[in-house]
Amino acid sequence: MTTEPAGKTEMWRAELERIARDGKASAFALVLHDFETGLHFAIDDRKQFHAASTIKVAVLFALLRAIDEGRLRADAPLHVRNRFYSAVDGALFRVDPESDGYPQLYRSIGRTAKIIDLAEWMIVSSSNLATNLLLDLVGVEYATKVLRDAEVHGIALRRGVDDELAFERGFNNEVTAEGLFQLFAALRGDVLSKQSRERAIHILLGQRFTSMIPAGLPAHASVAHKTGEISTVCHDAGIIYLPEREPYILAVLTESTAEGERRRETIARISEAIYKLAIQREVAST
Amino acid sequence: MNFSELRTVDGLSLPDEHRALLRPGEPSANGTDIVRHLPRFFFEVPSWSDAKETRIAQHFRLSELTMVDCRESDLLLQGFPHYVPCAIAVLARYLEDFRIEAGASIYVAANGGYRSPAHQFHGPANTHHWATAADIYRVGDTYLNDAKSIEKYRRVAESLGSEVFAKPYCEGDDHLHFDVGFLALTPRTGSETG
Repeated sequence: MTTEPAGKTEMWRAELERIARDGKASAFALVLHDFETGLHFAIDDRKQFHAASTIKVAVLFALLRAIDEGRLRADAPLHVRNRFYSAVDGALFRVDPESDGYPQLYRSIGRTAKIIDLAEWMIVSSSNLATNLLLDLVGVEYATKVLRDAEVHGIALRRGVDDELAFERGFNNEVTAEGLFQLFAALRGDVLSKQSRERAIHILLGQRFTSMIPAGLPAHASVAHKTGEISTVCHDAGIIYLPEREPYILAVLTESTAEGERRRETIARISEAIYKLAIQREVAST
Repeated sequence: MNFSELRTVDGLSLPDEHRALLRPGEPSANGTDIVRHLPRFFFEVPSWSDAKETRIAQHFRLSELTMVDCRESDLLLQGFPHYVPCAIAVLARYLEDFRIEAGASIYVAANGGYRSPAHQFHGPANTHHWATAADIYRVGDTYLNDAKSIEKYRRVAESLGSEVFAKPYCEGDDHLHFDVGFLALTPRTGSETG
């Protein structure tokens, strides 16, 4: 890990916090880790946020680990049903097709879908139904163990998504910027087999929602990432690939009451600022 | 493939690995002191394409009543031939009658027809292990996921005869459980000795 001169990182911090303030973010955290230079830069990286859909990356990680361990086969069929148990009192609930990023999956209710296809819909389209089906399959306990074994801290995976009763009682999945950095670092590390690692990156590169981190980058950048939004938070985290250099990981977490487009734009501006301040400079000097 | 062309086999003659999973003729407790013997005679289904092609009743193919997911043991999910208790033919006849009374197509859920005793849906021995139960998630265009729709078709199912059981709606149900009891069928060529 390298450190930048204190004055320079203070300037970065001031600039990034100004963008967050402009975007009406009431809380903001960030981790940048550059594999080209070893630079690790963080702002409030241990602050816990509601995970929103970023938790789906943890489910993907656990699922691929289960496949690597031979517990599951990627192409095995899984029964699609919309019926889940709340994490707080076991009450049955259903996820809402209206707020699901992949409503087509509801047409498969009663039938089966391949596990690897569900994984793709969970990430690429942020399907809540696919997420809960896969988390039910691997189990919260197992997924938590996978994270712990991989030394991914700062990710509290407690339940499936769209569990309104748990939300009302404050029993939520939580992440820190450091936790998301560790998770993406583990995804490209050696915890997973080469095949699973490539699968994970391929799926994350297919992300449909590109108005945050990717929007602040040059057109030739590829981003393997996952966004997360609920009424109070807006996040994006992922691995940024530029053909001329090693990749970097960026995790940006915000709490905001601003409307959707504006808070997404704030993260795009933060991504752009990070690129210009910390990455482009390296590209130019090499 | 015609249904009549399916070979019937005595489960006791199957290889050890299949017997361990299918447990032909073994006693199975339901969590109380009630003990029933699991089916012993099976249809042998050579391939999944045969299951998809074989009509077991006029409007039902064998695959519709035997579709399972990754919670079934790997050998029974992926390996062929598959073995399906002979009583599935009786279930299909009742479903055909149900279809006529309901006046619409009947859709049986994955894991909702025959599943082996090795299937990970734990719990006491149940009619799915006998291939005499069907979890119906849809009738025509109606998804059975609320009290009104499930109760409506439960009454239709029970009108077929006192031997038919259709489970009353419970909070959160997403299908109608339909069964014809713990029925085991011995083919004409089968012998129960040994």
